[in-house]
Amino acid sequence: MKKVITGNQAVAYGVILSRVEVISAYPITPQTTIVEELSELIASGRLNTRFLKVESEHSAMAALIGASTGGVRCFTATSSHGLAYMHEMLHWASGARLPIVLVNVNRAIAPPWNIWSDQSDSLSQRDTGWVQLYCENNQEVLDTILQAYRIAELTKLPVMVVLDAYVLSHTSEAVEIPTMEEVDPFLPPYCPEYPLDTHEPMAFSVIATPEYFLEFRYKIQKAMEQVPEIANKVDDEFRSRFGRSYAAIERYGKEEAEILLMTSGTVTSTSRMVIQKLIEKGTSVAGIKIKRFRPFPSEEICKEIKGAKKIAVIDRNLSAGVGGIFAQELKASLYSKEERPQIFGFISGLGGRDITPGLIEEAIEYTVEHPRPEEKILWLGLKK
Amino acid sequence: MSKLLHFKGASDMPMISISLGNMDWNKTGAWRAQRPFYEDKTPPCRAACPAGNDIVAFIQKITQGDFEGAWNVIKEENPFPGICGRVCFHPCESKCNRGDYDEPIAIHALERFVSDFASKLNKRVEKVPGVRKEKVAIIGSGPAGMSCAYHLAKLYYDVTVFESLSLSGGMLRSGIPSYRLPKDVLDREISNIEALGVELRTGIALGENLAWDDLKDYQATFIATGAHQGRSLQIPGEKAKSVLSGLDLLRRINRNQKVKLGDKIAIIGGGNTAIDVARSVIRLGKKATILYRRSREEMPAFEDEMVEAIEEGVKIRYLTNPIRIQQKDGLKRLECLRIELGDKDESGRRRPVPISHSNFFIEADSVIIAAGEEIEVSFLPKGIEKREGIILTQRDGSTGIKGIFAGGDLTSNQRTVAHAIGSGKKVALAIHGYFNGKNTEEVIRQTLIGEGPSISIFRHLHPEDRPMDSHVVTFGELNTDYFEPSKRHQESKCPVKQRTKGFGEVTVTFPESIAVEEAERCFSCGTCNGCENCYVFCPDASILKTEDILSHQVDYDFCKGCGICFSECPRGAISLKEETR
Amino acid sequence: MKKIEIPSAENLGHGHLACAGCGAAVSMRLSLKALGEKTVMVFPASCWSIVPGFWPYSSFRIPVIHAGFVTGGATASGVRAALDIRGDRESVVAVWAGDGGTFDIGLQALSGAAERNEDFIYICNDNEGYMNTGTQQSSATPMFAWTTTTPVMQPKENPKKDIMAIMADHHIPYAATATIAYPEDLLRKIGKAKRIRGTRFIHLLSPCPPGWRVPSELTIRISRLAVRSRIFPLYEIENGITYTLQEESHVVPVKEYLKLQGRFSHLAEPEVEVIQKNAEKVWERLRRKAES
Repeated sequence: MKKVITGNQAVAYGVILSRVEVISAYPITPQTTIVEELSELIASGRLNTRFLKVESEHSAMAALIGASTGGVRCFTATSSHGLAYMHEMLHWASGARLPIVLVNVNRAIAPPWNIWSDQSDSLSQRDTGWVQLYCENNQEVLDTILQAYRIAELTKLPVMVVLDAYVLSHTSEAVEIPTMEEVDPFLPPYCPEYPLDTHEPMAFSVIATPEYFLEFRYKIQKAMEQVPEIANKVDDEFRSRFGRSYAAIERYGKEEAEILLMTSGTVTSTSRMVIQKLIEKGTSVAGIKIKRFRPFPSEEICKEIKGAKKIAVIDRNLSAGVGGIFAQELKASLYSKEERPQIFGFISGLGGRDITPGLIEEAIEYTVEHPRPEEKILWLGLKK
Repeated sequence: MSKLLHFKGASDMPMISISLGNMDWNKTGAWRAQRPFYEDKTPPCRAACPAGNDIVAFIQKITQGDFEGAWNVIKEENPFPGICGRVCFHPCESKCNRGDYDEPIAIHALERFVSDFASKLNKRVEKVPGVRKEKVAIIGSGPAGMSCAYHLAKLYYDVTVFESLSLSGGMLRSGIPSYRLPKDVLDREISNIEALGVELRTGIALGENLAWDDLKDYQATFIATGAHQGRSLQIPGEKAKSVLSGLDLLRRINRNQKVKLGDKIAIIGGGNTAIDVARSVIRLGKKATILYRRSREEMPAFEDEMVEAIEEGVKIRYLTNPIRIQQKDGLKRLECLRIELGDKDESGRRRPVPISHSNFFIEADSVIIAAGEEIEVSFLPKGIEKREGIILTQRDGSTGIKGIFAGGDLTSNQRTVAHAIGSGKKVALAIHGYFNGKNTEEVIRQTLIGEGPSISIFRHLHPEDRPMDSHVVTFGELNTDYFEPSKRHQESKCPVKQRTKGFGEVTVTFPESIAVEEAERCFSCGTCNGCENCYVFCPDASILKTEDILSHQVDYDFCKGCGICFSECPRGAISLKEETR
Repeated sequence: MKKIEIPSAENLGHGHLACAGCGAAVSMRLSLKALGEKTVMVFPASCWSIVPGFWPYSSFRIPVIHAGFVTGGATASGVRAALDIRGDRESVVAVWAGDGGTFDIGLQALSGAAERNEDFIYICNDNEGYMNTGTQQSSATPMFAWTTTTPVMQPKENPKKDIMAIMADHHIPYAATATIAYPEDLLRKIGKAKRIRGTRFIHLLSPCPPGWRVPSELTIRISRLAVRSRIFPLYEIENGITYTLQEESHVVPVKEYLKLQGRFSHLAEPEVEVIQKNAEKVWERLRRKAES
């Protein structure tokens, strides 16, 4: 059934269709309509779901850790400060290998106070051991949530699904909403690896000495290394059931191009338009949409370089002292490769500044004109 | 699941740090710097009991409702609970640690309760058959002689008791009035001893119709003839026929013989005999006044007796010393001096110092002298010495003559029933050791309760059961946090008017519920009573319960030596010592 | 003399790493006997992160979930929700948190859970300081006490936070104080708590020999003196309004309690006076609440 819904509403549908059993969330702009929508859907009796209206985001994740250990499918949503507040518990969720799905609406972190789109919040959490999946449109948001639970429960890693503040969260688009009957065979009930059972008592998260800790972390890394293969299989199945597919990265534009433009989130939709226009003007450019940030799709990207000499990366985030985080991760992935195009790291759109077609064009033109970037960080649209 | 778990590495480890085993392999006992252990110690009541009763054990049985068991415990050491429960001066109660908390346990009354309960059930001591070849002669059927006979008979010796009077019991029968010790109680407890196979021959007096030579068939002899001669005051007028001996008078009253007495009776003396005489003549309708040369504090008679005597109307004049007895027309006139008290003498009491020129006169219809007892030695063989009023013996009761032992009032100035019972038991053990070629001093030393002098024959016969360290538990060693103050139960007494009408018992045995309540007040000093505080408070679950509730064990594999069990044992039955490895 | 009756199951086990004489070990052992085997216990970081042992072992015989320091109330809410969804209304969810994880860093999560009247029994094991990290002060540390962060020259200035009043004002169905020297009372209160639904709070005083500078064998005695000196009164609050204050028949001056503890050995008379007066004031306030 197709409906015109906002990104937040799409999240709510995704959660309901996934038969989530425990939700625990704390309101923060611009996530609020997710929890409001969910409250209404639950109150209308559509699902046997407990919604714990906790008193902070840290408690929200802690409650889900408790619930997931208790063997039920869990969900939370947050943004910005809320995600930052949860930081300690994000580490805990992955260390405890709990298949929790979190939706983060990308928003800037204060000060200055700012409620608009910015990827710094989710990317600040890149070391916490969560799979991170970024969405370009509301359909992708809903579909990613369904896939996220599959991936999480197969890899035993928590998954963060990310969408832009306002641009997606509060913007309506047409979305095909599957039925529960269609989703159920795709998403079987959750079966925990270690059941919480008073008949077979076990202690969870026991202290581990240096003798063993390394091996536990090794296992998390190994699980991350399996994500690409598992995510592909999940996507294959998703395609066969629902006719839609989302790879870790998507290349579009010229088949063979001199320049690649790497973007994520809604910037990608604007980029598609710009790249099309520039190709018509004769620019040798293609676009790479990054859907999966963590684990960083190094292999997939390398396969798609196909001779390009330059890659422009537009980061809607800043790791102060380093620059754009996607750019940094890209550079790290390419370091050991034979093919190492020049990386042009652009930063734009922080705190919700519009990344206009003009700015994207400017970035590509700069990349065309310069053999190598003249600055380590190229600020798009900066008012000096 | 107490084994150690090993992992090759990531390949065989679980995904998360989930527990796969318990900590039973971790023997935290290795941490200990001090080691607790269960060690029963000597309760002060038991250390004070001259008869060596296992008081805490019998009281524990009462709390469990096992009154028959309580009786069995007492009978291990003492054949006369009914007697002691009536006439003993209960030094146990003076030493009872509960006395430092609120009021001591009514041990005396509880002993009586147990005996009276057993008498209702017609209990007798069971004797397992067995026989030894040695024969023992016992001279005197008082408490010392009969206690010795009892224990020797239980050890399978062939015992004959020779009693000079026509009835057995010694001072128990002739000296103690029935209102304190009914004759049926005495008869019952003596017949219990006879039922063990002891031969009791009355009317046989050594030195009269029994010669020393006649005793050569016996491999050992125990002389327990007691002290039945009244002591003389050494004052003029004392020897007149109408001046009576207190002991004689009591003997006659106890045989229900008629006595001729005037109305106002003066009794000279301060001991139990004086009190017994006074209370007996009151019951014969007379007026009694006791004249004692020191003050009430120094009076040797038992406190309970004095209190009851005064209730019954006995008058006591302290600091009064008669120096002459005159007679005129049947009326006696006692010339007395007033006394003041000086320094302490060798008995520890303050010396009576006559105040010169304080002479005054007291008139009475009869005068009775009850100023102490002396032993009779004319029938004793040469080689047995009397010194300062007693026969000298070794600690084990042996005299200078091999095979001849002595005990009871004959050999001691502590003349109480309990001491006599303890003495007889000790000599029985000594004779047993003597027959078996043992060092009797050593045998006795090993059975001492606390530092002694009383002994426990149970400890000799069952050295592994109920071990007890000789340290006597003090009040400071108890943890009184677990006790609530409560009033001590007293035996109810007959009203005075009823008491003085005859020679019936003055006090009434505790009813069962009261006995149990009173027994529950017992702190059980030094003796585990299964309260299980140790088990409750151990942080490491290292107190193991066993089948027998009174037996717990420390699990030394895990005990960290914190000492909580030691601290929270209300009764000091756990000891703590440095851990040595 | 009455015997203290306790259930026999040992759900804490032995071989654990608690210090010799640890009050919390006694508390946990007794509490687990009262809670029974159908219990899931959440424990935020505290001494209990170490005491049950290191991976792969745990001395616990019930399922336990070690949780973040802040999160006692929140994690337990999630566990309860999961069990409810799975149809298990029988298993008890309990939280075992220290005073740090209750009075300080865990207060927010606890308050949130209490406001939602989450269905668990929250036991605060109060040893009056951050003992696992080496005896630093918490807001549960009593006034004038020495800790490593309130040295003798500058002992703790402020009184202990009144956690029971805080919990009462959440109007939770049941809150009670308890301590190990009164095991039957502790068992009764946990038993009573088990029969109630909603947030139930037990404030359990557990002396810590190394932290309070007390010889290990006096753990129980100190606990008893805390009650007898009225420094730690035993009482219950139902629905935030009905107070039941337990009379203590052997009242002693606070000096008897304080003099045994090294952490108070620097106290001068005037300070002892202050503590005495404060204890009396608190008692009076509780008494009036109990009477009304």
